[in-house]
Amino acid sequence: MLDVADQPKEPTVSRKIERLINLTIALLATKRYLTKSEIFRSVDGYEGSAETKERMFERDKDDLRNLGVVIEVGSFDPVFEDEAGYRIKPERYTLDLGEITGVEVSLLSLAAEAWRGAALDDAAHSALTKLRSIGVESDLDGLPAISPRLNAAHSDFVVITTAISKRQRISFTYLSSSLERQSRIIEPFAIATKNSHWYVAGNDIEKSQIRTFRLDRIDGEIFAIHATGEYEIPKGFDIFQSLSNEQNATVATIDIRKGKAQLLRNTALSIVDKGEWDQITVEYFNTGILIDLVLWHGEDALVQGPMDLRIELIAKLHEIVLLHA
Amino acid sequence: MPKAAQTPLGRTARLLDLVPYLASHQGIELLSLAQEFDVSQSQMVADLTTLWMCGLPGYTPLELMDLSFESGFVTIHNAETLAHPRTLSDEESIALLLGLDLVIESLPDDREDLKRIAIDLVKRLSARSSLPAKLSAIPVIPGSVRATIQSALGTKSALEIVYHSSYSDNVSTRVVTPIELRDDNGFEYLWAACQSARAFRSFRLDRMQSVILKASTAVTGVSTSSNESFEIDYTLRIHSRPREAMERFRFERDGLEADVEISSFSDEWIRRSVLASSGSVEVVQPQAIRTAIAQAARLILDRYESN
Repeated sequence: MLDVADQPKEPTVSRKIERLINLTIALLATKRYLTKSEIFRSVDGYEGSAETKERMFERDKDDLRNLGVVIEVGSFDPVFEDEAGYRIKPERYTLDLGEITGVEVSLLSLAAEAWRGAALDDAAHSALTKLRSIGVESDLDGLPAISPRLNAAHSDFVVITTAISKRQRISFTYLSSSLERQSRIIEPFAIATKNSHWYVAGNDIEKSQIRTFRLDRIDGEIFAIHATGEYEIPKGFDIFQSLSNEQNATVATIDIRKGKAQLLRNTALSIVDKGEWDQITVEYFNTGILIDLVLWHGEDALVQGPMDLRIELIAKLHEIVLLHA
Repeated sequence: MPKAAQTPLGRTARLLDLVPYLASHQGIELLSLAQEFDVSQSQMVADLTTLWMCGLPGYTPLELMDLSFESGFVTIHNAETLAHPRTLSDEESIALLLGLDLVIESLPDDREDLKRIAIDLVKRLSARSSLPAKLSAIPVIPGSVRATIQSALGTKSALEIVYHSSYSDNVSTRVVTPIELRDDNGFEYLWAACQSARAFRSFRLDRMQSVILKASTAVTGVSTSSNESFEIDYTLRIHSRPREAMERFRFERDGLEADVEISSFSDEWIRRSVLASSGSVEVVQPQAIRTAIAQAARLILDRYESN
C-alpha cells in the first residue's frame, strides 16, 4: 500500500536533512568532543573537497543553532592547543520539566489549545507534541469545563515574540492619539493581553523610557532589527504592573438609575440604594475615559463628585450642545 | 488542514520531534501521526523514509534507526539517542506561558488546587526559558461561558443567556439557538437565532452575564428577514482625538481633514457614541440625529443644574 519506491524523490534536500539528523545524533551520542576531521570521516553526507566539507559543516552548525540545538565547542586537552571539537550535551538538548503529572499535561494542553487559529498556533502545537512525547497521558477528568481562548490579530505578532526571544529591537509606525504617524524603535520586554487588546512593552530607544503600545494602534508592518546590540529584559517585568504604577487612582461618586448604566455598575466598588437611583463609587485613573463612559449612559448616570470631574463633564456637555445647535 | 510548503529546516525540526513522539507512541496509525504533525500522509511517509536513512556513525543496520510503517502502523526502534523530546524553543515557551496565564485567570475560584499547579508550571517553564518578564493574558470572559456555548453548538441545544445590550443599556434574559462563534475587531460574538426577538442576532460574549444550557432545541418561527438590515447613513466631523473616533466609530481614513461618511444600524448607538466622545466629534448629517444629540445633552445639563 505504501511503497517507499513510489515516493517522489527530492535527493539534495533529503540528503541535507539526513546529514543534519546524522550530525545531531553523532554529536549527541559522543561522550567527548569530536573534531571536524572525525566528523567528516564518520558522519554520513560530508563529501567533496576539503573546502566544500568545511562550508557544509559551517552551514549545518548554523542551521542546527537556528533550530535551537546548542552545540558546544571545546577541546580534548585544555593544556595543549588542540584542534577544536564539537558536541551536543544531552541535558541542553532535552526537554526537562521535572516530574510531570497527567493533570499538568492537561493544563498545558488547555494552554496550547487556547491558541487554536491564532498567531502562535504553530508554536503552541509543536510545544504540545513535545509534551505528549514525554509519554504521560493527560488526565482531563479533574478539570472543570473551561475553554479559554487567545485572540491575537496583528499579522506581525510572531515578529514581536521572536524579537523578545532573540532580544532584537523592533521598529514600527504608531498612531498617536492625534493620528500622527510616529516611528518607534523599542527593545521589547513582554507582550500581554487584557480587555481584548494586546500590548507590547519595552524600552523606547529615543525616549529612553519604558513604554507600552497597543498592537491595534501599530500601523502597518513591524520590523525586527537584526544587527543590534543585545539588551537585558528586567527580571519579573510585568506590563500591567508597570502601567498601573504610572497612574494614581481616584474614586468618583456617581448616581445611576436602577436597572441602567450596566457598564458603570459592573465596575462599582460600592452600591448604595437611593430609591429610584443607586449611588455607586468607582475607581478611575483617567478623567477623560471616565467622562466618556458616564456620557455613554446619557441621563441615566450623573457624577456627584469629585467636583473637578463634575465641572469638566458639564463643560463637555456644553461643547456637545454648541457643536450640534 | 495540512501545510503545503516546508523548508528543509522545518522538516529537520519535524524529524527530530518525530522520533521521541514515535518512541512514546509505538504502533500509532500513520493517519493519526500525520494529523499530529499537521502534514499529509504522503509527506509523513516521505519523512519516515528520510529518517530511515539516519543513525549513528557506521550506518550499518546495527546503527540505523529501525522504522516500520508499511502496515499503516508505525513503530521505531534503535533510536535511543533522539528518543527524548527536544527542549522548548522560546517561541513555544511564550505560547505556553501566555496560554497558562489565561488558564489560571479562567479557572473558577473554587479550583485553587489547579491554579496552584498551573502557577508552578509557569515557574518551571520560565526558569527553563530565557524569558524573565511576566507574560500576562487576562481574559475578557470567563472560560466557562465559551465552554458552555461550545457544548451547545456541539449538541445543537438552546442556551438561556442573560445579556446586557449596550445600545439600549438593558439586561434581558433570552433563549437562543447558537449558530456559530465569530470574531470581529478583537471581540468575540455568538451568532444565534433569538427566540425572544424571533430573528437572528449576534451577542458579544463579554456582555453575557450568564449562560445556561437548555434541554429544548430548535427555535421556531425565526424570520430570516432581519429587521436589523436597514442602515442609517450619517456624516461625522472629527474635531479632536481622531484615533479614539476611529476606534469607536470604526472607520478607516488617511487624511485628517475630511468629514467621514459612516453607517450604523441604530440611531441610539450613534447618539450614545457621540455623547461618549465628549465633544470631540460632531454629527453633520442627518439633521434629526444632530437635534437628538443636542436635546440629549441639554437634558443631562438640566439634571446637573437641578441636582
